[in-house]
Amino acid sequence: MVSILTFIVMVIVGAVVLGFIAVSAMFLIWWERKVAAHIQTRYGPMRVGWHGALQSVADVIKLLLKENITPEGVDKPVWWLAPFFAVVPSVMVFVCIPFGNLFGIDLIPRDLNIGILYIIALTSVCVLGIFMAGWGSNNKYSLLGGMRSAAQIVSYEVPLIISVVTAAMFAGTLSMQKIVEAQKGMWFVFQPNMALAFLIFVISATAEINRTPFDIPEAESELVAGFHTEYSGMKFAMFFLGEYTNLFIVSALAATLFLGGWQGPFLPPVLWFLIKTYGIITVLMWVRWTLPRVRVDQLMGFAWKVLTPIAFANLAVSGWVLLR
Amino acid sequence: MIKYFKDIITGAWSLIRGLLVTLRNLFSKAVTIQYPTQKLRMVDRYRGLVDLRTEKCIKCYMCVKICPTGCLSLAHKENAEKKKEFEHFKYNMELCCFCGMCDQVCPTQAIYMNKMYEIAVYGRDKITHIDLLNTGKYDEWAHPTVK
Repeated sequence: MVSILTFIVMVIVGAVVLGFIAVSAMFLIWWERKVAAHIQTRYGPMRVGWHGALQSVADVIKLLLKENITPEGVDKPVWWLAPFFAVVPSVMVFVCIPFGNLFGIDLIPRDLNIGILYIIALTSVCVLGIFMAGWGSNNKYSLLGGMRSAAQIVSYEVPLIISVVTAAMFAGTLSMQKIVEAQKGMWFVFQPNMALAFLIFVISATAEINRTPFDIPEAESELVAGFHTEYSGMKFAMFFLGEYTNLFIVSALAATLFLGGWQGPFLPPVLWFLIKTYGIITVLMWVRWTLPRVRVDQLMGFAWKVLTPIAFANLAVSGWVLLR
Repeated sequence: MIKYFKDIITGAWSLIRGLLVTLRNLFSKAVTIQYPTQKLRMVDRYRGLVDLRTEKCIKCYMCVKICPTGCLSLAHKENAEKKKEFEHFKYNMELCCFCGMCDQVCPTQAIYMNKMYEIAVYGRDKITHIDLLNTGKYDEWAHPTVK
């Protein structure tokens, strides 16, 4: 009896999470187009709904109705599985993202005691989907895009994890909920070394999710969209969904680890969490539409010669501060 | 080593400056014209369709003679008071090369080029025999709704 109840709760939580992911991704696509347009003194989508609010819905319907084209010579199993590998890990990450609490219920599907480790492990799997897409497409550009993505993730994972470790050290726990609770008095970002860690985290997270200025895996001008060149219709939409879900995840992580998560005065915790997360997302969009794409060698050089040494130095200083 | 830190600082500074530029743009007014609902007025020297102010025309045939493509066709008759009256004045937009010679040569500024730029139509016959005497239908074309 208990197991059936648990199962029903699981299904409901899963449905809520999936619904949130879909709605959030559609909102983010619309929001990104609006931010981009206004930065370029345009309006962006204006026709479908109020200021184009239903544009993403129309796009999703269009993508659903499109023909599923399988190009000749693709490695079929790999090619078919790649979009799912790009999305499923990002969905799984939502298990440990603390959304705050509503009416005394903690809005976190399961507060694992190794939460942050679990999230880092799963976000690294996302690149597998991209690499599979590149490999399976039977296309030079896609393969190059996939390879670049793998190289990029391997490089930027190092400073990212080190900055996460800094936050975990100060919180004294790996559980996401407890990390938020550790910031009750003061958000981590207000300490100088943690502010640096936050900066490193945001920069490497931008690289992890392949966003401009680090979007070399899908560089349109060099690789004709890279790993998703051969994909169309719903499979392409899956990559898009994964991309925007990852964007939400890294911003939620940054908010949770450094900006106090759902902590905040007056407003309900959920609202605080969403404000912080979408605020970081907007800043990432702002950066995206400001900076040009970096070259591959610049990208690698930046990760290994700038971010990683600074992250390590920051970790050492933080350790010294803790032990003092 | 100094260059290393200098590079980081100049890089960060240029990033901040770039971000400020885009932030300014973000809150400035969009320049887009929402085309079918808002329309731009064309500049004064824009050469749209050939149009006619019938009351000013003295039937001198200058425009018909100078037209390099022969897209204008005019005929007149004299009435009882020895005054010239239109028989027809037709304009074939298909042939027209929008050179504006008719506009320049007209002594009374009767024939002119209007500001119409939505000149795509659904049938060929709609542009091959445009009746310049029936200018009423051109009025809204001549001055598209100003923004």
